[in-house]
Amino acid sequence: MSTAMPAQISLADVDVSFGSKTVLSGLNFEVFKGEVISIVGASGCGKTTSLRLLAGLLAPSGGSVSFEGKPVRGPRRETAIVFQDYGKALLPWRTAEGNVSLALEVMGVPGPERRSRISELLALTGLAGHHDKYPAQMSGGMQQRLQIARALAQDPAVLLMDEPFGALDAMTRQSLQDELLDLSARTGVTIYFVTHDLEEAIYLSDRIIGLLPNPGRIGRIFDVPLPRPRDQLITKEDRSFLALRHELYDFVKGSEH
Amino acid sequence: MIRFTQIASFALSLLVALALIGLWHFVASARLVPPIFLPLPEKTFDALVTGMQNGVLLDASLATLRRMFFGWFLACLAGISLGALVGSSQKLRIYVAPMLETLRPLPASSLIPLFIAVIGLSEGMILGVIAFGALWPLLLATTHGIVSVEPLLIEVAQALAMPKHKVLWKISLPSAMPDILAAMRLSLTVSLILAVVCEMLTGSEGLGQWLLATSRAFASTKMFAGIVVLGLMGYASSLIMNLVEARALKWKSAAN
Amino acid sequence: MSARKPDFRPFAVPLGLVLLWEALMLAFPTASETLAPPHAVILGFFGIVTDGTLALQTAQTLSSALGGLAIGFTLGSLLGAAFGLWRWFDRAMQISVESVRLIPSVALIPLSMMVFGFGTRMEITIVAFTTQWPAMVLARAAVREVEPRLMEVATVLQMSLLQSATKIVLPSILPRLFVSLRLTAGVAMIVAITVEVAANPYGLGAAILAAQISFRPEVMLATLIWTGVVGAGINQVLLTTQNRLFRHSLPGGGGSE
Ligand SMILES: Nc1ncnc2c1ncn2[C@@H]1O[C@H](COP(=O)(O)OP(=O)(O)OP(=O)(O)O)[C@@H](O)[C@H]1O
Ligand SMILES: [Mg+2]
Repeated sequence: MSTAMPAQISLADVDVSFGSKTVLSGLNFEVFKGEVISIVGASGCGKTTSLRLLAGLLAPSGGSVSFEGKPVRGPRRETAIVFQDYGKALLPWRTAEGNVSLALEVMGVPGPERRSRISELLALTGLAGHHDKYPAQMSGGMQQRLQIARALAQDPAVLLMDEPFGALDAMTRQSLQDELLDLSARTGVTIYFVTHDLEEAIYLSDRIIGLLPNPGRIGRIFDVPLPRPRDQLITKEDRSFLALRHELYDFVKGSEH
Repeated sequence: MIRFTQIASFALSLLVALALIGLWHFVASARLVPPIFLPLPEKTFDALVTGMQNGVLLDASLATLRRMFFGWFLACLAGISLGALVGSSQKLRIYVAPMLETLRPLPASSLIPLFIAVIGLSEGMILGVIAFGALWPLLLATTHGIVSVEPLLIEVAQALAMPKHKVLWKISLPSAMPDILAAMRLSLTVSLILAVVCEMLTGSEGLGQWLLATSRAFASTKMFAGIVVLGLMGYASSLIMNLVEARALKWKSAAN
Repeated sequence: MSARKPDFRPFAVPLGLVLLWEALMLAFPTASETLAPPHAVILGFFGIVTDGTLALQTAQTLSSALGGLAIGFTLGSLLGAAFGLWRWFDRAMQISVESVRLIPSVALIPLSMMVFGFGTRMEITIVAFTTQWPAMVLARAAVREVEPRLMEVATVLQMSLLQSATKIVLPSILPRLFVSLRLTAGVAMIVAITVEVAANPYGLGAAILAAQISFRPEVMLATLIWTGVVGAGINQVLLTTQNRLFRHSLPGGGGSE
């Protein structure tokens, strides 16, 4: 990405500790508007914690997090989150429509406009015709789409996603990946994507942050030189895709010692 | 198929109920039990119809129904709001939750003399007793329901920068709804019991007073008619709560 | 780790209320005909303890409550177990059971009084009638949730009804039966007191009412508080026993009703 652009989110010397345990240490990075940036690393190295930091759900113990130049003091509506645990992150007593509506209600969108926005968002996430279904009546993939629809209802500038496709089957996963890329291309929303899956990270991202554990710190930031639009087959057969995959694999493996 | 077995089992259970009434008739007419203690079912039914037609039993029933409902309504208002307050504030909970838990097993009826002492024998006293007694299940259930909201949903709300009162209204209370509805059902039962007890104690018009008066006069058929009305009230309130639950908790049954 | 400091905060509000009560009684001495200040209640308590009335009344209430509980719990559990084992029986009895179960217990006080007069027997009858229903509901649920594998074992071993009841069903529902006993014991106490307040000139409930009528508020309040203590004591004893005996067999505290 161009370095001339001012960063949308920047972290300067950020530490996070819980009691005496340091979970993240000395984080320094910037996220630019419209980019897709992934974060990978061993389990428990602090990926979710970094996302909560960016969301404003968690205050740093040291250093500063800023959004468009101003320090982050709490959650903002410009930042939407898609939680890993979709089964628990939806309101079980509201239908698909109602769950999307929640975000619009909070934004103060008036009733009639809300209806059309909901239809739009459900159609966008491939849930048209499922307006009246309760989360419990939906498959995992549908629930995750619904979470995405709700996040998009916030009309966010930044979308924070915590292993959003982790628990889905391979086919659903791939189609959601493509829809996400499509969304990013159309709306220009910034995406911060936590994942365990290295191929997924490469496929989606412009850059990948590799975290090292104990305490969580940045090991390397990888640039992804692959062209867009991407394609499940062609992109994944690309030489640089395979090379990057190798590099990332060695990085994560190496970090486990 | 499911419909058929449902209808069949309903028919069977209705048949059994009718057979039991037949048994009642047999036992009573054969005088296996003195008729004072067990009048004939058809005589009980006659007493019920007469009492409703001449209005005496009807008025008593309506008086009891009114007390039960208003007392319960007050209990719902107070219990749910207090529960929401205690449930939303960790600080408040540390100070008052143990006290509330300790007070819970105290039978509401034992407080009637205290209420009489403070308020005096009046309609307000009766409503106060019912509301106070029926409030506990609601208070504790609402608190419990709100405390045990899925933490992730609270984060969802925070991520939307939802103000606190909206979190309560849109997340915590709906999520506590199953607990609250169960408590509303229990409170309705408690309200009916307290209404009857208060009527027995104060002699105010109502089914409690009707039962005592008819039993003192050994008017068993009238007394049984009163018991039947109370049973019907209990049954009806349970059915209404079933309907309310089925509607309000549609999302729960939707899973299957 | 240092030992945890005892937390006194739960005592602050009750203590404050007692002090406020004392102060109000000092400020409005005319109220002393109907109410008594805390110190008078303590003196009143010693009075009824030393002259033996409290012990007698407690014994009266407890004997009715426990006697009724013994009958109601046994009948209810047997009925519930039968309903749990044979669904057709449950279905056949549904309307009959529901229409009797939902009669408010106090409606039977005058009838019971007509049959037995005042005293223990009429109270035991009401307590037994009332407690059998929760016992029935809880036993039915417990039997229905017996692990189906275990029932298959019984079938494979060609156990007789008695054998499978004593060797399979009873041991596996025992923990939940105990929970049911604890809950119905609470109901028994409440019903006993209610009968005494409403009609039976006998036990703690009647004592509270009698003290109010004879303008002895300190005795009324002392007996009232004692009634609460007895109820809480019974619950605590049963809860402790339950935790001792069934700690391992009741996941999640065993409070599932
Ligand atoms: N609220 C908290 N209090 C104490 N420790 C915490 C808290 N949240 C996270 N941790 C600790 O911080 C570390 C990082 O947790 P985090 O959830 O960020 O890891 P992660 O990289 O997302 O792991 P995973 O890949 O398993 O999701 C873990 O050791 C965790 O136990
Ligand atoms: Mg995580």
